Amino acid sequence: MSTFSYMWRLIRYRPGWYVFNALVWTAIYLMPIVPGLITKEFFDSLTGHAATELGTWTLVSLLVGFALARSATVYLGFITDVNFRFRMGMLLRRNVLGHILKRPGARAIPGSPGEAISHFRDDVDQSEEAVSWSVDVFGMTCFAVVSCFILLRIDAELTMLVFLPLVIVIVAAQLATTRLQKYRAASRESTAKVTEAISEMFGSVQAIQVAGAERRVTERFRRLNDERRKSLLKDKLMTETLGSVFSNTVNLGTGLILLISGHKMRGGEFTVGDFSLFVYYLTFVTQFISNFGTFLTYFKQMSVAKERLTDLLQGAPAQILTEANTLGGKEREPGAARLRANASDKNEQASAVAGHRMNKGPVVVGMAADERLEQLDVSGLTYRYPETGRGVEDIRLHLRRGSFTVVTGPVGSGKTTLVRTLLGLLPQDAGTVLWNGRKVEDAGNFFVPPRSAYSAQVPRLYSDTLRENILLGLEDCGGQLERALHTAVLEEDLRHFREGLDTVIGPRGVKLSGGQAQRTAAARMLVRDAELYVFDDLSSALDVETEQKLWERLFGDRGEATCLVVSHRKAALARADHVLVLKDGRIEVEGTAEQLLERSESFRRLWSGDESGS
Amino acid sequence: MGKTAKTKSIGHYYEMLSRYLLPQRSALIGLAALLFGSIGLQLVNPQIIRYFIDTAQSDRSLEPLYYAALLFIGFSLIQQVVSVIATYVSENLAWRTTNRLRGDLAEHGLKLDMSFHKSNTTGSIIERVDGDVNALANFFSSFIIHLGGNLLLMAGIIVLLFRENVLIGAGMLLFVIGAVFVIQWIRKYALPVWTKWRQVNAEFYGFIGEHLEGTEDTRANGATGFVMNRFYGLLSRMLPIRTKAFLGFASMWVTTIIVFALGNAMAFAISAYLWKQGSITIGTVYLIFYYTELLAKPIEKIRTQIEDLQKADASLVRIRELLGTRSKIQDGPGAELPSEPLAVEFDNVTFGYDDEPTLDGIRLRLAPGEVLGLLGRTGSGKTTLARLLLRFYDPREGSVRLGGVDIRECMLGELRTKVALVTQNIEIIQGSVRDNLTFYDESVPDERMIGVLRELGLGEWYDSLPEGLDTPLASGGGSLSAGEGQLLAFARVFLTDPGLVILDEASSRLDPLTEHRLERAVDKLLANRSCIMIAHRLATVERADKIVILEQGRIVESGPRKALAADPDSRFSRMLAAGLEEVLA
Repeated sequence: MSTFSYMWRLIRYRPGWYVFNALVWTAIYLMPIVPGLITKEFFDSLTGHAATELGTWTLVSLLVGFALARSATVYLGFITDVNFRFRMGMLLRRNVLGHILKRPGARAIPGSPGEAISHFRDDVDQSEEAVSWSVDVFGMTCFAVVSCFILLRIDAELTMLVFLPLVIVIVAAQLATTRLQKYRAASRESTAKVTEAISEMFGSVQAIQVAGAERRVTERFRRLNDERRKSLLKDKLMTETLGSVFSNTVNLGTGLILLISGHKMRGGEFTVGDFSLFVYYLTFVTQFISNFGTFLTYFKQMSVAKERLTDLLQGAPAQILTEANTLGGKEREPGAARLRANASDKNEQASAVAGHRMNKGPVVVGMAADERLEQLDVSGLTYRYPETGRGVEDIRLHLRRGSFTVVTGPVGSGKTTLVRTLLGLLPQDAGTVLWNGRKVEDAGNFFVPPRSAYSAQVPRLYSDTLRENILLGLEDCGGQLERALHTAVLEEDLRHFREGLDTVIGPRGVKLSGGQAQRTAAARMLVRDAELYVFDDLSSALDVETEQKLWERLFGDRGEATCLVVSHRKAALARADHVLVLKDGRIEVEGTAEQLLERSESFRRLWSGDESGS
Repeated sequence: MGKTAKTKSIGHYYEMLSRYLLPQRSALIGLAALLFGSIGLQLVNPQIIRYFIDTAQSDRSLEPLYYAALLFIGFSLIQQVVSVIATYVSENLAWRTTNRLRGDLAEHGLKLDMSFHKSNTTGSIIERVDGDVNALANFFSSFIIHLGGNLLLMAGIIVLLFRENVLIGAGMLLFVIGAVFVIQWIRKYALPVWTKWRQVNAEFYGFIGEHLEGTEDTRANGATGFVMNRFYGLLSRMLPIRTKAFLGFASMWVTTIIVFALGNAMAFAISAYLWKQGSITIGTVYLIFYYTELLAKPIEKIRTQIEDLQKADASLVRIRELLGTRSKIQDGPGAELPSEPLAVEFDNVTFGYDDEPTLDGIRLRLAPGEVLGLLGRTGSGKTTLARLLLRFYDPREGSVRLGGVDIRECMLGELRTKVALVTQNIEIIQGSVRDNLTFYDESVPDERMIGVLRELGLGEWYDSLPEGLDTPLASGGGSLSAGEGQLLAFARVFLTDPGLVILDEASSRLDPLTEHRLERAVDKLLANRSCIMIAHRLATVERADKIVILEQGRIVESGPRKALAADPDSRFSRMLAAGLEEVLA
């Protein structure tokens, strides 16, 4: 998509608002024509050259009246502008966010979240500015045409001699401004480095203090600051030089008019009023040309912004907003319908269903009885990280209904990668996944509740109440939440929070300990009544007692649910129906713990590494 | 309140100015000269135009007209050059002074104790060290000169108008006062809405950020619709606030339009009256018109300067507060710790983060070279005990001694090179592998780092690094597995030479096999060093000579490990049994 068609599509999103906005702003830009004429008339009336017979008082009240009219139009213009640009910017953000949430979860964004946020903010803002300024360009062009016409009628020769060279000077300077982007990029980068350095210094403050490295770290920070000063100064010097060309063009132009108009004024064919009008329009013309330059800059930036947003989308173009695209309203099979997704109205539900039909995966409207997990077969499952080439290869897996399977293996053997690839959180390179013998085409959309639920190795909690963090929009019917809290061994911790489930957690609330966060994520998974529970390293931050309780309750409360677990805890391994030992991304050996203890040396080492002394 | 508060804040400004700006005196003086020159030029130009118009209207020779025009152009060009130089100088000045302040703030902040860092998020510190200092940039560079310069320009214009005619001078003086007042008044209504908009914006990007990090959880638990609904909810709250904020901005613009239309109207009325009386020339009428237009600039400038000052005011208060925060932990007089395994002694130590004591009457002795296993449930005070040893906090009562020296007598730097801490939180900083191992300490030779990495079983990982020790690591350790990160943290300790090592759940993220491999490395690390191992798993304290069990901040059991294990009534042996049961289940 070219930058122009990108802009065109954004305009087309709300054409009514855009056209209305353009009309109002054209009026705002055209209006300064009149005060110029009034000023001319004022001087001419004094020197007796006036074309009309308007007295000083009439002119004065016209001037004020016109200012009031323009003010009213400005108010209107701001309302139309904010309405148009807000809708357009948020459309972009919605589409990007919506798309990201459809990507394989573990590879949803190409870079760091911090980077992605800056795209969400700055790149969308720049697109917004460019589209919004296109309106101004139109208005300014209208002004230029009308004012030129008026000036040409007064004195064609003078208009040509003064305005032409000035316009050329400003346009040339403006073109040079676009070259500024190199400096701009450098200064932005050095600023980012400084912010990053602060965030890191204070994020790792304990490590720095432990290492006694305060002074060394600050020295480095001071160096980064000085680099920023240098690059910003270059940027500023360029900007200022060009900026002063614009601001002083009026003075230069005035000088030129003086130089040329001397004998004409003496001759009476060029009045003081004409002179004032020339100077007056000159101010606006130079201002408008520099505004035009601003638009060009924004347009150029928009093409960069578009590229970056496209990178973030990893392929797809910005699409038309499909409003209220909730993934809600799933009906459950009878008996399991204790939880209902939180759809705010029927339309949302309908559109959610329609949305699903468009996906290639099976339709997720409700879950029919034959979708109940009887067996899950995986063969040849492969994923390699493009950066390192490591990953998992040729994984074969068979899960029966109600079974408990543990994946174990040393650090870096691919345990997490395995479950992520299975669940479609990473895009598989090869392999087949069969749910009750039927092929799963789009794992990412397929492995969601009520089929499966998942808790990640490092769970993410959001700044919200504990309740919302667990439910994530579900409705709690029939004590489901309470049971999940019990199984996840959270009730004890809840008693210590003054506001219980309504305690706000996250950066602006109570900070949970590592173990509490893990158990909250477990509750988040368990509250979803699923056929298959997948949990990654659930107990790494728990103390012995809590961990024992957790495993006991999990085994006791899970009912018929099937579990796939990443763990190297004996408590889990000993209870498992089946254990897979991974090594370098492949299944090295599998069986029950008992069999493996007999057969596998590396399993014995994993086993005895835990609790080796007890 | 007014008067005392104001005097005080002027005092603050003066203090900051003298500390950071006065050292740059010569740049400051140069800048002032440039700006005053530029003001002079701005005042002269309209006089040239008046001369021009009046001469053109008369019968005098045309020749001076050309000189006047050329003079006007020449002055304009000079003014352009002057203003560019002035901006450059003031910008440079601003960055130099604020960079010094940034560095000082960062250094100060890094030295503050943990109770400060616990109660301030990294985000809020960025806001202070960068955001608030940015708000001060203008204050440091050009505030006084710009404010003074523009006031002078305004005063100059009014004086020159008084020189023409008392009536027009007085009229314009009234106009200026009125304009400043009205613009300030409107601003009072416009500003709070902007603040609100910024707040809701911050909330919006906070929301986006969290959900960009949590895609895995959202996706696999079917919460995509929930997230989008929250997104729509935020949007419907944002539009009205943004509209209001924009209207506030429109109000400021509209006020300027109306105020200056009124100004022009008044100038027209007065000059028309004077012209008709015959007391001024047509050139003077134009001069009055020109000066009225020229007045817009200083009024706007003064407005933005005052705005900046108000912003700077809040920032300055926050910065001073940060600089004024004294670390509760201060350097001792500088007693030396022995360069050998350190004996550890807690003498009746009581400590709490709030009124509730977290540690209560702890008495503990560890001979040089011994290993202590510290057990207890989450929240029993184990980690707090470790923090006291590094003086992240000082005990409320009692004292902590290392090698017989009360640690409050030591310099903090000295203490922290002798006591090493490895926690389960790995802090990977943006930078090369080398930076992460040494924290920019250039005195550590490469061979030693590589040796340590190999010793810890990171040899293979090291060999896979494309640029060796110079390979950059992403912030937060994205490119490392959790286990590799933890091994790296161990490597940091190996590179220093501590007399006491504290391992706080240091291997909880490692799988048993890797942990096993690490054991050998730990053996080496602990040879000829004292050690405190904090654990909630029994296997970890296998190598301990002594065991201490904490419960709610008190020692409930302590003794040699072997003796406790052999005593069937001890808690330790009961824990061992529970652990074994767990294994057998």
